[in-house]
Formats: sequence, structure tokens, C-alpha cells
Amino acid sequence: MVEDSASTRSFVRAILEDPASAAAMGALEVTEAQSGFDAMRLLPRARYDLIITDINMPDVNGLELIHFIRKSEHYRTTPLVIISTQATERDVERGKQLGADAYVPKPFSPEAMRETCARLLGSGNG
Amino acid sequence: MAENTGGGGRGESAGDKAREEFFSEAQEIVDGLSRDLLALDDVCRRGGSDAELVNDVFRAVHTLKGLSGLFGAAMMSGLSHELENLLDDLRLGRIELTAQVLDLLFQSVELYGRILAAAKGDAPEPAPEVKALLAALGQVAQQKGGGGGSVVAQYELDPGLLGVLTEYEEHRLRTNLQAGLSLYRMRVQFQLATIDSALDDLKSKTRPHGEIITFLPTGEGGDSESVELEILVASRENLGVLKGAVAGPNISVEEVRRRDGGPNPAASIPPPPFEDAARRDASDPYSVSISPPTTSGGDALLDEINAASGGASRTSAPPPAPSFPPGPGAAQPGTFPPMGLPGMPLPGMGANANANANVSGNQRELTLRSVTQTVRVDIRKLDHLMNIVGELAIVRGVVARLSERVRLDPDLKEIAPDLHRLHRSFDRHLAQMQNGILEVRMVPLGQVFDKLARIVRQISREHDKQVNLVITGAETEIDKLIVEELSDPLMHMIRNAIDHGIEDKDERMRVGKPPVGTIALNAFQKGNHVVLEIEDDGKGMDPAVIIAAAIRKGLVSESEAREMSHKEILTLVFQPGFTTRDDVTSLSGRGVGMDIVKTNISKLGGVVDITSDIGIGTKMTITLPITLAIISVLMLEVAGRTFCMPLASVEEAIVFDDAMIKTFEGREVMTQRGATLPIVRLAKLFHLEGWRPGVWINEAAATPKPPEVRPGRKAKSYCIVASVADRRVGFIVDRLVGQQDIVIKALGRSLKKARGLAGATELGDQRVGLVLDAAALINEVLASSPEGRIAGALEGPRSPKPASDVRGDGGML
Amino acid sequence: MKALVSRRGEGRSALQRADELGKRAEYLAFMLGTEAYAIQIGNIVEILKPLPITEVPRADPEVVGVMSVRGRLVTVVDLKRRFRLTRSFTMDKKSRILLVDAAGELIGLLVDEVLQVYRLAESEVEPPQVLGTEQPPHVVGIGRPAGGAVLLLLDLAPLFLE
Repeated sequence: MVEDSASTRSFVRAILEDPASAAAMGALEVTEAQSGFDAMRLLPRARYDLIITDINMPDVNGLELIHFIRKSEHYRTTPLVIISTQATERDVERGKQLGADAYVPKPFSPEAMRETCARLLGSGNG
Repeated sequence: MAENTGGGGRGESAGDKAREEFFSEAQEIVDGLSRDLLALDDVCRRGGSDAELVNDVFRAVHTLKGLSGLFGAAMMSGLSHELENLLDDLRLGRIELTAQVLDLLFQSVELYGRILAAAKGDAPEPAPEVKALLAALGQVAQQKGGGGGSVVAQYELDPGLLGVLTEYEEHRLRTNLQAGLSLYRMRVQFQLATIDSALDDLKSKTRPHGEIITFLPTGEGGDSESVELEILVASRENLGVLKGAVAGPNISVEEVRRRDGGPNPAASIPPPPFEDAARRDASDPYSVSISPPTTSGGDALLDEINAASGGASRTSAPPPAPSFPPGPGAAQPGTFPPMGLPGMPLPGMGANANANANVSGNQRELTLRSVTQTVRVDIRKLDHLMNIVGELAIVRGVVARLSERVRLDPDLKEIAPDLHRLHRSFDRHLAQMQNGILEVRMVPLGQVFDKLARIVRQISREHDKQVNLVITGAETEIDKLIVEELSDPLMHMIRNAIDHGIEDKDERMRVGKPPVGTIALNAFQKGNHVVLEIEDDGKGMDPAVIIAAAIRKGLVSESEAREMSHKEILTLVFQPGFTTRDDVTSLSGRGVGMDIVKTNISKLGGVVDITSDIGIGTKMTITLPITLAIISVLMLEVAGRTFCMPLASVEEAIVFDDAMIKTFEGREVMTQRGATLPIVRLAKLFHLEGWRPGVWINEAAATPKPPEVRPGRKAKSYCIVASVADRRVGFIVDRLVGQQDIVIKALGRSLKKARGLAGATELGDQRVGLVLDAAALINEVLASSPEGRIAGALEGPRSPKPASDVRGDGGML
Repeated sequence: MKALVSRRGEGRSALQRADELGKRAEYLAFMLGTEAYAIQIGNIVEILKPLPITEVPRADPEVVGVMSVRGRLVTVVDLKRRFRLTRSFTMDKKSRILLVDAAGELIGLLVDEVLQVYRLAESEVEPPQVLGTEQPPHVVGIGRPAGGAVLLLLDLAPLFLE
């Protein structure tokens, strides 16, 4: 999960690690990255099955990160979810054009996040 | 942490933890917002603008909106939503940043603070204020203009690159190009492991020359350990300058040309004032300057003390002698001069002591750096660590004894020196660790100062007085708990300074002062204390007015007033029930009395002092211990037992002789400094008969016994003059052991009945020293008899001398 | 499966089986003067040999003083004086201090000697009225474990609620 806000990371982690999520998609292990660079450092080190990222981050923004991820061999088809707010519709569009699979707008409910992730993970990708 | 519903080691669910982090993060963001707004305000006053600041503010509000939505903070979410729209319009150039808009932004920050407090349950929700602000924000939104055109297409930019710019980044690009800047592309290779610091380095080299639009990983030229980034920079400089600034291996810089081959704009258009210049002005008086800590003033004072100590002659110096600094001209044989040095002007510590302009780098860069390198810690965890250190201290004591025994044993001669060395090493490291942990609790005073800057701005506008706030020493650190309690007293002091101190513009000009008043906030460390000075160049305090009010309120009689020194008159303002204004102004609505300020500061273990000159200004000095947990005490012995008296309450220590006792209406008193001082023998007060160790020790443990006194020999005794507010009592004790800094611990509820004790501390060797509650004891002694009350009244409104200038000897674990 | 269970059942004594059927509680027994007392072991945080105890002036008469245990201050109470069994304070090599958690505060109870831990079944506990005279609220029962000892069972809550 790539997101520069610590409490949002906590929140998403809490959702993905709870039993309801485990029931829907198996036990999940969440790795947090607090910036685009952090993500670029972590991605090559392990095989991640799902990537969740914000768009508005300083330095390397979410779009640039998606672009980078989709260019890499390992993660070309990995499910990728954008979390962001509705203010930057154009950016979300761009993100989808660049290869994001889904968009969960903030503020989101735990169910919305869980459903989206389950759907993407269940489709056999990554 | 895996459960969302209860569970977890300490009964904390992941949800609870997330909520805690939300509060913490939201507060941090609001604090950052406040700082940024102050900087923005300043930039705008000079007629400039700063796009980066506006964007930072936008991002902060954007984050707050997201957070509050996630955690169901509806009021905050609603406010953030409107604010974000406003800020978006601002940063995309659709609305102009006027003073009115800035005001709304400041108000929002205030409201955020109150909403957070309400969410935590500390205060009521500011619903009506939020509604009013939302309406005001809505009105501003009506005044939108249009956006920008598309000059971007004229440049040779890869459409792929354009495709990954966010809307904001595109706007920045457009704006810069429209303003005639040139566009450059830097390709840089970074090692992923060191990218954070390498980036910061590159940013600091680039920022003075232009604005960084974005960073794009190219996906080329890298491997699993490194990555290549393409960085777009807009600048007025030409290529050569930029290249020179960032020169280094793995960096290439080239210009992005216009498609039509037109001339490089940087060469032809004369540059308008560069946006970032205002922010970098280091000597800006309105900003919180990051200056190196000023120790010059403090050292000068220490030097004076040391120089003076050569001259005093004392016949009965207790160990360790140097720690009782003499006051000026007070040395009499056999007398211990006062611990404090009231009224002594502290040399070199003027308000503007630090005009040091070598602020390296950008203020905000420093802030950014500290944000990524800090860790939020629960203060209880630190207390736990301190307890462990305490345990280690006990181990250390045992090792010391073993080391001693080994030394004395001829058979173990070989290992003795090694053991001894080990013990000393352990000792050293333990002391370092204790200091280290204490340091972690420390936060810079800048936290409080930032809040104050906002208040000054608000108040000076309300009063239509112009006030400049100069802050130095914001990096001085103090215990986090103290910082939290400090903002109220400081706020009151500043309000008073603006309210009653600084004159309005016309008045000031009439007496030849600059129209803008100055309030200087200075902080520095002195030994184990932190000193805060609040100085204004207002009209000062008039002793005549003070005396008149004091007489009117029955605090002093006319005859007493005539005897009082200038200093004593000033400290009258700290008396309960004293205010020079009978009406309640909009600011002082909550009954701001200096006595409350003084009480609050005393609760923190600190003291307040005032100096003032009519027509020139007033200076208030607050001296605080660096942490609440450590206090300086005077160790004394009574009937063989060790007690500790907090130095903050000690006025003086005098060698005592029974001949000094006089009887006044059945109570024992003595004459001290020309006044009657009620005295009490601590042994009698505590019913400590005879001479017992006072410590019960299991025979099996080999612990040294306290020293014994030869029976029949008349022992000397000492009188400790302790004071709280204007009440003084002399406590007779057997021996003065010395001064020490101790870590004070609370006594349990089971000992509530033992009045007069404030806590206890470990003395080493597992013994415990009880800490006396001076205020409680004094009140007890004086209240227990009508004579006591009369004796108290005879004292008159003497000001307690601050006992805080005495340096501690360093901790003795 | 069934065979295993029954085999295990036969191997144990009647008392042990009774233990399993009834409630089992563990008590730590100690001496105060000539009487044996006991408190539930769950209340006890630690058992210590006495460390140097510093007297506290003006505290209740049963308070011996305070002791520093690993950096924490612990009030030490002399149970004999608390129960008014003696007036003066004595301590010897067998004295021990039981650290207990009393309403959130760590208190040290001074006892003359620590005996052992007893596991008492419900059948081995009698209500205090058996002793005839009215007992103070902190005595909640009489324990008679096998072996003949008589234990006065204590509940700490009434002692420290004030």
C-alpha cells in the first residue's frame, strides 16, 4: 500500500487484516510504503499480489508510480487500486488509462475496500 | 493487531490504534498548516506570492479531508471539503489570495484545533462558528475567475510524460511557462538505498534556481538497486547555471526546447521578483528563526557567580561547597546567602540577542526533514524505560559493593582491577542512558511559540495595535509535559503585554518609539533549567499605580508600601486578587490574573520574575526545570533520616543556634532579615524521637548504617527558610547534606494520610529519601495557630526570591 | 479413545478426582505470629526478602515504610499490626514481603514466614462463622487442607478499599 498518510495506512491495514477480509480472500499480509520512492524500493524485493496507491503524493506522484509499475516485468498485470478523493477526477481517469484496475474513492467504507480487493484478487491475476 | 474487534495484547484493537494515530496525525497536520499560513501571510504582506506554500496548504487540507472522512469526523470533513475547494481554486489561479481570504484560512486553523479538541472530548463542538465560516467560504467561491491557456503544447515534451502529470503539476508547469521561465529536464540515477538523502540534497541544490515540477521514474537505466528519474525544472537561469548548481555523477541536464525553435525565454525577459525570495529571508522578524542556541547570556551570568564566590568567607561550609553561590554582597560568616539572584540584570540576554543570519537552507526544508525523521512515542513508554534504568542503578550499586569486596580480598587480587573498570564503565553508560531517555521526552519550545505567533497576530488586529513578535531560541528543548502546560500562561502574559503594555500607534509615535511595538520571546537553557523571557517595549509598569491598587484592595498598608523596593512593588501583581483593570476586556474575559499565571508556573516547578521600567518596557522571566520528573532538592538530615526539600521553595539556609529562638505568643520564632520568622523543628513536627536509622534493614543484607552522633555533644543545627507565595517558615534540621537533582516519584494512595510529603526518591543503595511538600508544611505550621497567622501577616508582601539559579550537581543515581 | 480415558481415571486418588469435580483455588499460606493465614495466589505479584524500608512519618501505624522495588515505590504494611495482633514491629531472617496489587497500587505485606501453596477444593473451605466469634470482613473462610493445617483465608479488598 502506497500512501503518505500514516493513519490512512493504519486504517487500510486494519481493514485488510481483519477476519472478514481473511474470509473473503484469504489471510493478507500488508506492506506499507509511505512514498513513491519507498514503493519503488519495496516492489522488487517480494512478489506482491495487489497494489493500493494514492495519487496525490509529493515527489513521485501516484500516476508516475503506476506508469513505472506497469512498465516493469513483474507487475505488468498485478491488480492495482487507486485511492484518492473525488476532487481530481481527471487524475483518476489518467490513472485508469495508465493501467489501474479500480478506484475506491475516499472516504471509503471497509466493505467497499474489501469488496474491491476481493474482486481483483479473485480474478486469478497476480 | 489483526483483530478489528477487541483483542490485542493490551486490549487495544487495530481500530483504536488507528483512531489514536488519526488524532495524532491530524494535530500534526494542523500545526504544520498554522506554520505555513504564517509564512504565507508574511509573503503576501510584502506583495509576493508563493505557489509552493499554497500547494502545501492545499495538500494538508486535502489530507485532512480524507482522514476525517475515513474516521467519521463529520464536522472536520465538511470544513475540509469547502476549504479544499477554495484552496484548489487558489492554487490553480482561479481566485486571488487576498487578506480577506487569508483571514478565513487562519480562522479555519483555529476551528480545526477546536474541532479536534471536541472530538477528543475536551471541549464543546464549535458548531455555530463552523457554520459561519462555511458561509464565508462559500461567498468567496463565487468570485472565481478562469483558468490558464495551453502554452505547454508548444514545448517538446513527451506526451507520455505529460500524461503522468497530475492536474496540479500541469498547472504549475503552465504557470511557469506563461511567466516566461525556461524548462529543463534532468536525468539522474539514484541508488534506491540512499535515494531519500540524495534527493534532499538535489532538491536543496535546485530550489534556489527554480521550481521542481515533478519526478518521473523513467524505467530505464536502472536495476533492482537503482533507478533513474527524470526531473522537470522550471527556471529563469540559463542552462549553464543550472548545470553548475547540480553538477554530479549520474546527472545530466538539458533544456526542453520549444517546438518552433523560438528563443530561450530566460535570456530575453527581465525577471520579476522571484517568488521564493521572501521565504528565504533569514532575518525576517516575523518568522520563527532557526538560530543556534544562545548560551552566551547564561554563561556570562555563571562566570559572574564563579568570580564572586571567591570573595565569600564561610565558617561552616557543608559539602560540596561550591554549589552554594553567594548573592552580591550578602556573604556573612556563617550565613548561607540566598539561593536566587533576583533583580540582577542578566547580561547579554537582550531580546534581540540573536540576529544570527546564517540560517542554512530553507526553513521548510528543515521542517520537512524533521518530519521524516521523527517518531511519535507514548510518554508512558518512556516512564517505563526510566524505571528500568532505575533497576539498573540498583544493580550498579551491588556491583560497586562486590567490586569493593573483591578489592579487599587478597585471593581475588587479580580480578579486582578489571571488575573495578567494568563497574566504572557500567556507571558511565548508565548515566548516558538516563540522560538519553530524558532527552527523548524533550520537545522544542518552538511548538508553543508557533501558537503564540498566531495569537499575537489575532490580538494585534483586534486592538489595532501593530505588534512584531521576535522569537529566538525556539529550538530550546523542554519536557513535553511542561510544554503542554506552558501555552496558557504564556498566552496570558502576551495578552497582557499587548493589552496593557504596548501603546497604540499614536501614543508610541508621540513618545518617540517606532509605531510598531515589539514583543521578544527568548528561550535558552541554563544548567538544568530553561529560561523563557517575554519582553515588550511598551509603557512599562508604573509602581505608583500598582501601589494604589494594592492599597485599595487591602493587600498592603500605606506604611508598608513606603518601605517596599521597586522590585517588591512589581511582584505585587502576582498577589491573588490583584488586577489594575476593573473592567473585563474581551481578551481578559476569563479573569486573567497574574497570580493564576504564577500558580500554573509553580505547578510546573518554575518561578516567574518581573522587571519593568516606566516608558521603556516590561520583561518577564520564567525559569523552569527541564523535566517534571527531575527536581533540584536540598538534602537534609533530621534525627538520622534523610529528607529532601525542593530548592524551588528554599529561600535560605542559615546556621542555627538555640539562642536565636524567641517566643512570640507561645510559638517559637526568630528574627531573620529584619522580620519575624516562625520556626518549627522538623523532628518535632514529624514525631521523630531520638536517633534511629529510620530505615529497617534485614540483617541478611550488608548495607552500611547511617553515621552516628556522639551522645552528649551538642550538635549544630540549621534553619531552612522555606517560602511559598508570601508565607515563610523556618524548619530546623540537624544537618545539610548538599544539593542534588533527583527523580521524584509519587507516593501511593496508601500514604495519603502522611501530610507534608510530596513524594520520594531513590537515594542509591536502595534507600529512599522522602521529599517534603514545602507548601503543605508551611500552611500547616502557619494555620495551626492564630499567632502563626499573625506572624505570616507581619511578613508583608515579600516576594519570594526565585531559587532557580542554583545549578544542580548532576544526578547521583 | 475411550479406553485411554478410563485408564487415566483409575490412576488418580479420590482426592484428586474430587479436586477436578469441585472448584480448585490456590492459596499461599504464611505465618503471622502463631496463626497461619492464606491468600489467593492470583493476588500475589511477587514474594520478596525485605529490602531496606524507609519509615514514613505520619503514616498509619500499620505502615512500616516505603521500599524501592526495581525503581517503583512500594508501601510496606505490617499485617500483624493491621490485624492488631501486636503493637510493635519486628522482623527477622524469615520475614518476607508479599507484593500484592491492591486497588491499582502495589503494596507490600510483611509476614513472618512464608509456608507453602495449598490447593484447596471447595470441600476444604469452611465459612468463617464456624469460628464462632464475629470475624472481621477480611477473613472469608477457614481452609483445612489435608495434613491438618488450619488456614485463615483472607480477602484483601476490604483491607485496602479506604
